[in-house]
Amino acid sequence: MSLAAIVNLNHPASYVHWHFFDMSVSNLVVIVLMIVVFALAIALPFPGSRRRGRSEP
Amino acid sequence: MSAQGSRSWTVRLREAAVRAMPPERLLPDGQPAYMSSWIYIFGVLTIAALVVIIFSGTILGLKGPAWWHYTGIGHFFNSIHLWAVELFFFFMVVHLWGKFFMASWRGGRARTWMSGAIAFLISIAAAFTGYVSQQNFDSQWIATQAKDGLNSTGIGAFFNVLNFGQMYTYHVLLLPVVVIALVSVHILLVRRTGIVPPLPLPELGIHQAAGEPHDGAAAESVA
Repeated sequence: MSLAAIVNLNHPASYVHWHFFDMSVSNLVVIVLMIVVFALAIALPFPGSRRRGRSEP
Repeated sequence: MSAQGSRSWTVRLREAAVRAMPPERLLPDGQPAYMSSWIYIFGVLTIAALVVIIFSGTILGLKGPAWWHYTGIGHFFNSIHLWAVELFFFFMVVHLWGKFFMASWRGGRARTWMSGAIAFLISIAAAFTGYVSQQNFDSQWIATQAKDGLNSTGIGAFFNVLNFGQMYTYHVLLLPVVVIALVSVHILLVRRTGIVPPLPLPELGIHQAAGEPHDGAAAESVA
């Protein structure tokens, strides 16, 4: 109830149109989030990995 | 063990299973050093989401459509089920990207890759049958839109999206069984062949990842 007030969902979905590209904003947000998480998963150091890396020959 | 006992199919099956999947490989006490990266956690995150999906889906199935539509706790479990599915696909896609870009079918892991890919496709069908099983206007709209596309392929005689009972059976029994079986096979194959090591980088002088064995097989010795 309180969460529903934060984002008003009581309307048709918004779409992004660009030439042949046609996608709902919600789908686009999820895809962008997946790409961001994928990039962060590769870029961010894993806890303990640097210490372990130094100890190896 | 008697000679007669050793000829039994149960004994042969047990011995073959232990040969294929030694307990120390099935449940190792360490993991390769090259797994120290966030990209390696998305497989287990997908499985965690699947566990929540099965748990919340079981509750929803036991209580029924009136409960999930008209009670507060029913809405809560319905939302848990939906968002667990969202996370399941989110994590699975990131897992797929990670494994694709490290060419994780290397080193005799083709069956692992294929079982994962098929599990992904069957999961889409499982999610779709869930959408048309909601018993609301949304599901009716999705079903009436989808029937024309599906009927154009000729599958409508066997897979009728306007038939709630049929879709619900696919959603809560047939497809989950297939997904769980494929995920189980996928995990067993991962345990058998080991986690795929990163690609070598000869230009940087890295020809083999830390903890990677020479033959590309499982290396579970580095904790």
